Amino acid sequence: MTVVVGYSPAKGDPSPLHLAATLARSARDDLLVVVVVPAAWPTPVARGADRDYEAWTREEGARSASAAGEVLAGLCPDVSSSVLATPGKSEAATLIEQAERVDASLIVVGSRAEAPDDPGGTIVVSSTGDRLLHSSPVPVAIAPRGFRAAPDARVTRATCAFRGDEASTSVLERTAAICREVGAALRVVTFGVRGRTMYPPEVVGETEVLSAYVEQASARQRDAVDALVGFEPGEVETAVATGPTWPSALAGVTWERSDVLVVGSSAASMVSRLFLGSTATRIIRASPVPAVVVP
Amino acid sequence: MTDVSNRPTTFGEQLRRRKPIAAQKGGHGGPELERSFGTFQLMLFGVGATVGTGIFFVLQEAVPDAGPAVVVAFLVAGVAAGLSAICYAEVASAIPVSGSTYSYAYHSMGEGVAMVVAACVLLEYGVSSAAVSVGWSGYFNELLENLFGWHLPDALSYSPIPYEDNVTGLVNLPAVVLVLMCLLLLLRGASESARVNTIMVLIKLGVLLLFTVIAFTAFEGDHFSSFWDSGAAGISAAAGTIFFSFIGLDAVSTAGEEVRDPQRALPRAIMGALVVVVAIYVLVAVSGVGAQPVAEFESEEQQSAGLSVILENITGSGVPGTILAAGAVISIFSVTLVTLYGQTRILFAMGRDGMLPKRFASVNPLTLTPTFNTIVVAVVVALIGGFVPADYLWDTVSIGTLIAFIVVATAVLVLRRTQPDLERPFRVPGYPVTPVLTIVACVYVLSGLAAVTWLIFAVWLAVVMSFYLLWGRRHAALERGVVADTEVPDQPTPGGH
Repeated sequence: MTVVVGYSPAKGDPSPLHLAATLARSARDDLLVVVVVPAAWPTPVARGADRDYEAWTREEGARSASAAGEVLAGLCPDVSSSVLATPGKSEAATLIEQAERVDASLIVVGSRAEAPDDPGGTIVVSSTGDRLLHSSPVPVAIAPRGFRAAPDARVTRATCAFRGDEASTSVLERTAAICREVGAALRVVTFGVRGRTMYPPEVVGETEVLSAYVEQASARQRDAVDALVGFEPGEVETAVATGPTWPSALAGVTWERSDVLVVGSSAASMVSRLFLGSTATRIIRASPVPAVVVP
Repeated sequence: MTDVSNRPTTFGEQLRRRKPIAAQKGGHGGPELERSFGTFQLMLFGVGATVGTGIFFVLQEAVPDAGPAVVVAFLVAGVAAGLSAICYAEVASAIPVSGSTYSYAYHSMGEGVAMVVAACVLLEYGVSSAAVSVGWSGYFNELLENLFGWHLPDALSYSPIPYEDNVTGLVNLPAVVLVLMCLLLLLRGASESARVNTIMVLIKLGVLLLFTVIAFTAFEGDHFSSFWDSGAAGISAAAGTIFFSFIGLDAVSTAGEEVRDPQRALPRAIMGALVVVVAIYVLVAVSGVGAQPVAEFESEEQQSAGLSVILENITGSGVPGTILAAGAVISIFSVTLVTLYGQTRILFAMGRDGMLPKRFASVNPLTLTPTFNTIVVAVVVALIGGFVPADYLWDTVSIGTLIAFIVVATAVLVLRRTQPDLERPFRVPGYPVTPVLTIVACVYVLSGLAAVTWLIFAVWLAVVMSFYLLWGRRHAALERGVVADTEVPDQPTPGGH
């Protein structure tokens, strides 16, 4: 299988390459770096400025491709990788097209370009990422801002965001299968956020609702984990993390540098594609580690 | 420690067993709420929660009982409500659990009393949402009539059950629709924020001010001439009916967790809110009674949307009445939403305690709301609102609330004796006079309620208690040892004997 990664040297952000290299190494996959260059204007007879523009995009593509190649050579000489510069009107559409062509297992993108005073470390879904999250046929991984990985880094643990419904059980099963394959640890976490108190608070009930949710989620987690095959009892770590906001809920569990967070897309979606739900969006935004969104 | 594991709990023990406070404290989890309210905000809060539950409907119910002395009835009911709110504040601060009177009773006086209180608060919240939705329906039709010259036919806006000689129909459709709209919001997990609440308060106060100002232009002192004619019986009867319009004052007490310096802020806020609310109510009552003869309040056209109709009669123009009706339609919507919400959370707590089937305590993982519970509540409330006239409902709400308040005042007395060392961030001033006075005041107001109300209440209580006897006491979480060792809540209980 192949990991497809979208990269644009002009943005100067190598974090998607770092993430893609780590993931490809862990899964023993190939790596395909796709540099999307602007497509030329589709005139029947290209001349003058059109032809100049086409030539410039070709050069730009070649330059970007070699830049990406250099980064890869330093980052992951152990991973079989190739670079492709291809014209396209939309970065997201081109990435999906390439992913379908090579039958990719995953598309990797970075966060939106960093603001000057941003401390980094969080995921900010870019316009490309957003479109992928709503239309990709394969899982999408998003690197946090400024993500860097050592040249021999592997994913050591996957944290599956679990909600207790059928959709997230199937996400858990697939995550577990991949974890077994690549030898990573599995952790199952349910996140819950306390509802806002209704004003005027004649009855203060939200804390009660949340603690009931924690109990129910733990019970569902136990059932789902018990149903997983190929894991020793107690091997899978489970946790329920709650807080008044999503970031505080995510901060309720510890995170390692080599973690990834696996989130299912919307349960409401009838299509088999990725379609990111509101809860998943909030979890991703608050995630301190790379997130993989699966259909 | 005696070994109780082999011996079934006796019925008496079941009735008396209390939910340990410490166990609940430990299970609380999550960060503490930020203490962000001051006295003034809290007072506004109390005003907002209280005004609007009843004042839009109550004159038409209470004036026929008490005549002009309805003003005195407002004062009596206000004093009883204010005293109860202060007792409520001590219990709420001493028992740091989320919840309502039901939870406080379970922690302080045992399962038997808790079930009685549960029956009461089901009336306080569930039936009052139904009653409020019926009142909303009246103002909604009035608004339609004024704006478009058309309103729903009587068959679709009145309930089929007759009350005295009121109009009857097939179903009160607007009331049903209102409850179902609230259901959708609650299922989505929407919650009324403090800001929305403030806006609603301003709307309510604004239209009531409008009413008072306009009604005073038609003021005639003659309407007060036979002030005491209805006598003490009339006043206590009116006070009983009016009492529901003070529901919500206890909301201030439950906000204790979020208040800076509760010992000072709580009583001041409750008193302040009480003074403001009573002042508003008395103003509305005085201006209303002054504007038209007492007999007018009983007229058929004022049975729904009363205040709005009074304005139209005074001014001869539809505009002020329309504005008032619009204000009522908007703000009563929020009242229904909040009371429905309260009802679902009480049933939720009961489901958690095993007093109701567990489904009432299951949370939908998508929205983090108790979906099943919310649907059941809304369907029942919609049925009541659609088919029972409000006249039957209000007195039932009052009786439930009054008895719940008496229980709270008793809980203050009981807890001070049984658990004197309990930490109480707020203590009732003037103990033991205040709680005793509360009980006396509530009993006085109760004495005015009609025999039929007592009968309805007795039947309802019997239904709830038989459910408890047949089902609840066997399924209670305490019975099944989910919360073990009620006697020594402070020590960790060793697991697995």
